[in-house]
Amino acid sequence: MSGKMLFILFGIALVAAPVSAGEKKFVEFSSMRRNIDVSKVGLNDNVWKTAAPYKQPLQRQFLVDPKPADVGVKEVLVQSVHDGKYIAFRLVWKDAARNDNPKIMNFSDSAALQFPVKKEPLPEYFMGEPEKPVHILHWRAWRSADRKHGFQTVKTAYPNMVVDLYQFDYPVQGKGTEKTQAEKDIFIPGKAAGNPLSVPHKEIIEELSAEGSGTLKSMNIENTSGEAEWKNGEWIVVFRRPLAVDDPGSVRFKPGEKMPVAFAVWEGGRKESAGRKSVSPAWAEVKVEP
Amino acid sequence: MQMRKVYNWQLGRNAAYVYPQHRPKKQWAMVFDLNKCISCQTCSLACKTTWTSGKGQEYMFWNNVETKPYGGYPMGWDRGILAKLGFQDWMGDKYAGKTLFEAAEKDEKILQHLAEDADWAHPNIGEDEVAATVNRGDWITMPHRIWMYYLPRTCAHCTYPACLSACPRKAIYKREEDGIVLIDQSRCRGYRECVRACPYKKSLFNVETRISEKCIGCYPKIEQGDMPQCVTNCIGKIRLHGYLSTPDKARKDNPIDYLVHERKLALPLYPQFGTEPNSYYIPPIHAPLPYLEQMFGPGAAQAVDTYKAIKDDQTLKGLLVLFGSLEKLLGSFKVDTNHAYGYDEKGNEAVKVPLTEPMYIRAYYDKKIKVYRHNTP
Repeated sequence: MSGKMLFILFGIALVAAPVSAGEKKFVEFSSMRRNIDVSKVGLNDNVWKTAAPYKQPLQRQFLVDPKPADVGVKEVLVQSVHDGKYIAFRLVWKDAARNDNPKIMNFSDSAALQFPVKKEPLPEYFMGEPEKPVHILHWRAWRSADRKHGFQTVKTAYPNMVVDLYQFDYPVQGKGTEKTQAEKDIFIPGKAAGNPLSVPHKEIIEELSAEGSGTLKSMNIENTSGEAEWKNGEWIVVFRRPLAVDDPGSVRFKPGEKMPVAFAVWEGGRKESAGRKSVSPAWAEVKVEP
Repeated sequence: MQMRKVYNWQLGRNAAYVYPQHRPKKQWAMVFDLNKCISCQTCSLACKTTWTSGKGQEYMFWNNVETKPYGGYPMGWDRGILAKLGFQDWMGDKYAGKTLFEAAEKDEKILQHLAEDADWAHPNIGEDEVAATVNRGDWITMPHRIWMYYLPRTCAHCTYPACLSACPRKAIYKREEDGIVLIDQSRCRGYRECVRACPYKKSLFNVETRISEKCIGCYPKIEQGDMPQCVTNCIGKIRLHGYLSTPDKARKDNPIDYLVHERKLALPLYPQFGTEPNSYYIPPIHAPLPYLEQMFGPGAAQAVDTYKAIKDDQTLKGLLVLFGSLEKLLGSFKVDTNHAYGYDEKGNEAVKVPLTEPMYIRAYYDKKIKVYRHNTP
């Protein structure tokens, strides 16, 4: 770790780390309690007109190489409501182009919310740390488009491509054509290996855990639903989940309490992915109204 | 980025790398005789039908053959990164320029050239295109003025892989037992940092699975003591696969060591990139030397001279006839007056090949079946 990085970390620690007395100096916004069914709240429901947006500044990811020289999204508007059972977050940010179709060098527009699994001791705000996991809710435009049009395949990406035949998948009846889908999928390595990116999902939001950069792991649970829409150079994304679920690796909100939260946004059009992203500079806190 | 220093024998000096020096117990290596490649693409198809026949791999070639100087898969992969790196120089056998790790831009691990979608869409563009136009009255000189040659390529299973160093989540690893570099298909998240970083552009993105894939060095065959598919299916017998030692531990009877270290006939591909690639090429003798030196380093001139003198070089002549003569991996070899012998890793004779094929002369007319024979040379 370079001296400069240590200095930055130290600087963050000064700004953001919980002070030993227990007082924290985080930017704060509220998750407002509303008498609606938050589990079904839509992108542009009236309730969002009643919840004041919090303006979260974003900056380039600056801790782990490769760091982007610059990023596309510098600000995200955040709103949150809850009904005592479900909580929802609505993120709005400017992005001139919609990037939701996979191609070799296409990258997905994307956004993520990050929460500590346990508030005490609070993990490092950037991807957590060993023994102090964070819970990440990651929305990806590719998955939104999958839900809208069906799982996007190489044929969707390159409709004019030429291919002679696939193993056991050619139209002529005969040896091989009676193979099961699983047997055919052996020739599709990501599927055969059970990679979560290679198969369709019910929800457009992936739940992940991490204990430090490079340790991100899909949790293989889908408790977060969502909606997303790109219109007039702007993404609107809603994340909805129960305040608390049984899973010990998931975030638990409680009315009347605060929960640290961090944000990340990727602009696909700039080939942003992984560490090439916009991040909030430290933990913020969402105060879940009693 | 704070870099480590690792010893790179291809550059004759220490060079920057992301991780500390660590060499596997054995190192996968492949030798190609470019004077014999005819771009029949049998290697590409042997690889393709074995490994990349699935959805999302339609235009994916872990092994490809391109025509130099203009061909490339993906298009312009080498020109792109060479232009970014700029002019660099050697001082004798020592590299005096910057490697891609040393030339990395601020906040990056390695200097990168990005291949775009269109670049991947034409796997064999530029095939058979020559470097100049033919003028009236032209005649052939050595090296040729109007030249081209074929360059077969696989992943070089580099000693210091750019892909491995670029992966933010350590989904890429280099096997201790044979040095093969693999992408863990369950761990990859399709960030494409490896696709960006590999200067040889041998990490490839699968749009169907949304994660990256690469040549697996035919490890299931290697584990059985066999050579990879692209080697054993090569009809031109231009390839030999085996294990390469470091120069200080080179064995004269190891075919790969003999070609690479002892005779310096087979040279690394773009050693200046600094990844210590383990694909070694016997340069084509007819191509202009400056181009060969750019591609294979300062040893190109000597390698061309050695190759031209092979007719009087019993050992090399013998070793070259062992290329493509068997499926089993060779641990050692021997050449005597009339034969070349290959031995497996336990020292058992695996193959015996005559240096000169015996000649049979048959009568012009076959009395038994009453036909004339044509002599088709």
